[in-house]
Amino acid sequence: MNADALALLPALLRQRLRRDRWQLAFWILGTALLALFAAVAVADSYADETERNQILALAISSPAILILRGLPQGGGLDAFVFFEIFTYLALLAALMSTFLAVRHSRGEEESGRAELIASTPAARSLPTVATLVHGVLANLVLGAAVFAGLALGGMAVDGSLVTGAATAAVGIAFVAVGLLAAQFLRTSRGANGLSVALVGTAFLLRGIGDALGTPTGPLELQSAWPSWLSPIGWAQHTGAYTSNTLVPLLLDLALAAVCVTVVFVLQAHRDSGASLVAERRGRTDAAAALSGSFGLAWRLQRGAIVAWAAGGAAFGLLAGTLASLVEQAASQDAAVADSLQSVAGAGGSMTETLIAALFSFVGVLAAACATQAVIRLRQEESAGTAELLLSTPLSRVRWLVDYLALGVAAIAIVLVVAAAAATAGLLSAGEDVSLVGQSFATAAAQLPAALSYLGLLALLFVLMPKATVAVGWAFVAFGVVVGNFGGLLGLPDGVRDLSPFTHTPVVSAAEPDWGGGAWLMGVAVVAGAASVVLMRHRELNTA
Amino acid sequence: MDTVVEVSGLEKRFGRVRALDGLDLSVRAGEVHGFLGPNGAGKSTTIRILLGLARASAGTARVFGRDPWSDAVALHRRLGYVPGDVNLWPNLSGGEAIDLISRLRGGTADKTAFRERKQRLIDVFQFDPTKKGRAYSKGNRQKVALIAAFATPADLLILDEPTSGLDPLMEAVFDTEVHRAAAEGTTVLLSSHILSEVEQLCDRVTIIRAGRTAETGTLADLRHLTRTEVSFAVDGVPDAAAPASPDAVAPDARPAAAPGAAPASLQAAAPAPREAAAHRHAGPQSDLRDLAAALPGAHDLAIDAGRAHFTVDSDALPPVLEALARLDVRGLTVAPPSLEELFLRHYGDHPARPDPADRQAPAPTIPPTTDPRP
Repeated sequence: MNADALALLPALLRQRLRRDRWQLAFWILGTALLALFAAVAVADSYADETERNQILALAISSPAILILRGLPQGGGLDAFVFFEIFTYLALLAALMSTFLAVRHSRGEEESGRAELIASTPAARSLPTVATLVHGVLANLVLGAAVFAGLALGGMAVDGSLVTGAATAAVGIAFVAVGLLAAQFLRTSRGANGLSVALVGTAFLLRGIGDALGTPTGPLELQSAWPSWLSPIGWAQHTGAYTSNTLVPLLLDLALAAVCVTVVFVLQAHRDSGASLVAERRGRTDAAAALSGSFGLAWRLQRGAIVAWAAGGAAFGLLAGTLASLVEQAASQDAAVADSLQSVAGAGGSMTETLIAALFSFVGVLAAACATQAVIRLRQEESAGTAELLLSTPLSRVRWLVDYLALGVAAIAIVLVVAAAAATAGLLSAGEDVSLVGQSFATAAAQLPAALSYLGLLALLFVLMPKATVAVGWAFVAFGVVVGNFGGLLGLPDGVRDLSPFTHTPVVSAAEPDWGGGAWLMGVAVVAGAASVVLMRHRELNTA
Repeated sequence: MDTVVEVSGLEKRFGRVRALDGLDLSVRAGEVHGFLGPNGAGKSTTIRILLGLARASAGTARVFGRDPWSDAVALHRRLGYVPGDVNLWPNLSGGEAIDLISRLRGGTADKTAFRERKQRLIDVFQFDPTKKGRAYSKGNRQKVALIAAFATPADLLILDEPTSGLDPLMEAVFDTEVHRAAAEGTTVLLSSHILSEVEQLCDRVTIIRAGRTAETGTLADLRHLTRTEVSFAVDGVPDAAAPASPDAVAPDARPAAAPGAAPASLQAAAPAPREAAAHRHAGPQSDLRDLAAALPGAHDLAIDAGRAHFTVDSDALPPVLEALARLDVRGLTVAPPSLEELFLRHYGDHPARPDPADRQAPAPTIPPTTDPRP
């Protein structure tokens, strides 16, 4: 690469910034706000150190909880916030980074735009350099924003700086991981799937490492070796607000350097558009199932549905095994049992409460799966494949109804798989059979919220097709933040009521309130029916 | 029923843009109807309305006497469609996409017959059905829609620039399949911006421009619209005014040069620039006059870079060819005009070109700029 070509770098960078400005603003602001709200809310809810110590004692006594939090570093307020929120900040940075990397590498190659750029003096490698620089810059801004959020939330400045740096380092490592994944697979969908799986593995490895950790002092743990296999684990070892060391972040940067080197070596040896994993050949004739738009919808989404269901199974299994572990801990230690009961609130056992809490995430997965079904409909329309379908004796209404039917089926699959996994976890731990019914009831309680997502987005697809994709995912993110984290973030009830997930019936409560579920079902049915009626009058909108 | 497609006064507005502005179109049963127009004339918009994918803002459209918007499903049982830009499902193979469309159209009820038709079409189009949708080139994506359209018998085929991206061999296969479908009684509406394609296939033609019907009729009716371009090397033409003796010209001695051969003969025949300039000074006006006298029916005659160019009405070509044979010209090229040139000639609204009225008479002087033609 010579200096002439390098002079083109600013142009390529500007193009990336311009394309991503809203998307990155959304990620960065969202992550920073999560940090800010967490700091404020924790300071508000757990101002008393004995309360924080109670929670930490509970977590250490049933280590599986640590998988969903972090590594306890004592009962100090700032360290407690880091324990509660850092792994999620790292998770968001990692996802933002892999999506960014794949979007500007494999995504461009798949669409053919990369070829257009590669035919200029920028050639094949400069765009990758630009993507790398763009990703690093985005993560530096993200790190600064996280620092600002925490510092504004009243946290110590030095620890907040370390947290910001740790978040950025995780992100930079995953920019490189995303670029590497893009070298292997032919499609951006595949590269994104592989990247998300790697991010999930990194999160899980550090979770297992934390769960198997050994106590080093009161309410302090040292994580086990699996945590040292994870870029998120390395970042946790900075011990922000306690030991405040940046040295482990060198591991993140070293990983990034290794991945980037491999990326450039691979790219120098492969054709533009080619991939290391070759594409399989397809069938000559279609299977019998592929004979209508329902069959097509299933065929196009089965991979994604399996992935969402696998996520549901993971949460279900976690709920099943965690529940029995917690009960064991409570039966051995009266103090733990007390704090458990205070967390669980009145009515319902701790086990039931835990199942309910974990299944609220299963509900989110089901809603995301439903959202994807409608987004697929819009993608068919904008890509032009819908035009081929609708030139056959397939009516617009039937087309919509088939995709909605698939959405309902996908929701059911995710929920049933999660409930079955929870059952397996409970039974293997020798739990009472009555809890099996409980886990299925809890899964069923997630149905209304997921269906309301399906119906409302279908209506949006009919009325404002161009907004479907952006609003669809934004609505899921909004629902999660406001509904599932609304309590942690201390949002007022009026705001929390805007999320469908807030109205999901809590089966573990002494007297479950099914009214919210009925309302959600009503919304889902009315919106779904309206979308079907209005679809009759809608033109195909390929723009 | 005599008329399969009946469109009158069709309008389609997108905001303030009028994509269609009072279009009329009539396709009779059993005919292959050419639907011609430059890019952006409104061909695809018309077809989307005929398919019930878009709704007319005003005017009427009838297919088999029914409203395509409200009776879409019933109408679609009788028709096949090929879009101009075929998009496939990235993770479905070409074979799967063909089967899916055919099943939706109800063409697979007789499985054996369908399999035979599909296999025959895959063979003639030399198509590999096992690749994934994203791996196909433009021409191969087009083949998927073509095979799906021809594999199920239809009463009406709507083809929107169906040969875009196909190579000439495949265009010939396409022509054969359209003829085969027409012989089976299928009505065909073929949209195109390639005049030669329409000339080969169509019984009648409708030409649209800026959302309105400009001309409609049989090809013979429209003969006055088509003009063939002829050019040859001036150098070596004997005294233009003196007719060569008939026995000196063997009919097969110098057939019209294939387009590919033209550059070589051009190089051989074209004089060096300085010589050409001298040649012009020697009396281009008299050369032109002589040539014009020797070539009856030649329009827009001009000499440029050692080559004479002129156009001739397509139905007046034979006498001109005879005259050219008598002149014993070298490096002869004969090319049909592109539709765009046709439009410029008849509805000329291109500011960079001379007024079409001026081009009716032989050009009095040599064009000062280089000619884009070969």
